[in-house]
Amino acid sequence: MSNVEIWLVVVGLTLVTILMRSSFLMLGDYFPLPERVQHGLRYAPVCALVALVTPELFVTQGAFDLSITNPKLVAGLAAVVVTLTTRSMIAAMAIGMLTFTLLRLLPVTA
Amino acid sequence: MKALFGSRPELARVRREGFGRGIRTVAPLLIGTGIWGLVTGVAMVKVGLTTTQAIAMTLLVFSGTVQLASLPLIAADAPLWVVMLTAVVVNLRFVIFSAGLHPFFRRFSIARRWLLSYFMVDMSFAMFLSRFADAPRDQRGTTEQVWFFLGMSAGSWVVWQTMSIIGIVLAAGVPAEWGLEFTAILALIAMTLPLIAGKPALVGAVTAGVIAVVAAGLPLKLGLLVAVVAGIAAAMATEIMLERHANETGGTT
Repeated sequence: MSNVEIWLVVVGLTLVTILMRSSFLMLGDYFPLPERVQHGLRYAPVCALVALVTPELFVTQGAFDLSITNPKLVAGLAAVVVTLTTRSMIAAMAIGMLTFTLLRLLPVTA
Repeated sequence: MKALFGSRPELARVRREGFGRGIRTVAPLLIGTGIWGLVTGVAMVKVGLTTTQAIAMTLLVFSGTVQLASLPLIAADAPLWVVMLTAVVVNLRFVIFSAGLHPFFRRFSIARRWLLSYFMVDMSFAMFLSRFADAPRDQRGTTEQVWFFLGMSAGSWVVWQTMSIIGIVLAAGVPAEWGLEFTAILALIAMTLPLIAGKPALVGAVTAGVIAVVAAGLPLKLGLLVAVVAGIAAAMATEIMLERHANETGGTT
């Protein structure tokens, strides 16, 4: 892309992002969401966060990968276990990253 | 401090406490944010943005997902409208977020709402709503809540921008195969698990997780959106079934 085009992308992304972030903060005055919908939105964060994580763990280069040679899956499961047992985010990240790096450097041959 | 929290002692105390609580709540997540910011900074420059363009992008857009989603398209010399459409789809979750936050921020002027919405990120939305969603109608948008949001935002913003700019300046430093961006995923795991409280949330989370994997092949991050909608629907269906079950057993005894 040319210099000018990249600047257009920067400006465009800025506008699109701020308009969508502010959408219902502005429109909510005129189109109030029903209580039921607002209630359902309480589940949105958890669903979004889980949905961001699972493809990263279970999908490798576009294919479903449920093997112990998948470093991200194994490291992610390690982080789940550490979180459930210690409730420490630092520990979960340290153990997870250590597992990931070890598996990456010492590939398990199935 | 007066410049930030105002000069009325009682109000300043509430603001300061909310702000501090927001910073403390978001702090453990900021390691992931920082590394993610660093990676994004490096990636922007590697794709061909100048230092000025990259710094402008991170300051103005302030959304890792949108920035990272745009980079392969910039590299591939895609038409402008394709980049914008991709941004719209990736941003669809912000529409849900802003609807969720509206009851809390409705008392503010339009200008202040623009400012608050600039700071809206996945993490702060999730932490905010998981903390205050049960607040009764007349206790939404209290000073304490708004300053809690501002505290989380300030923490995220400072760490993200600092690390992004360091990444932009260092650019070539970190080898890609270290996979440092994976720490962001690990941080998400550690922050999400404690939020899954109760059967409806568990059903919703599992549904969203499975659908996200199944729909991972969909282009433009649409899979994420489908997964979120399916997860919410599953959680609410579970809730209704549990209510009905409770009513039935309550009626017969």
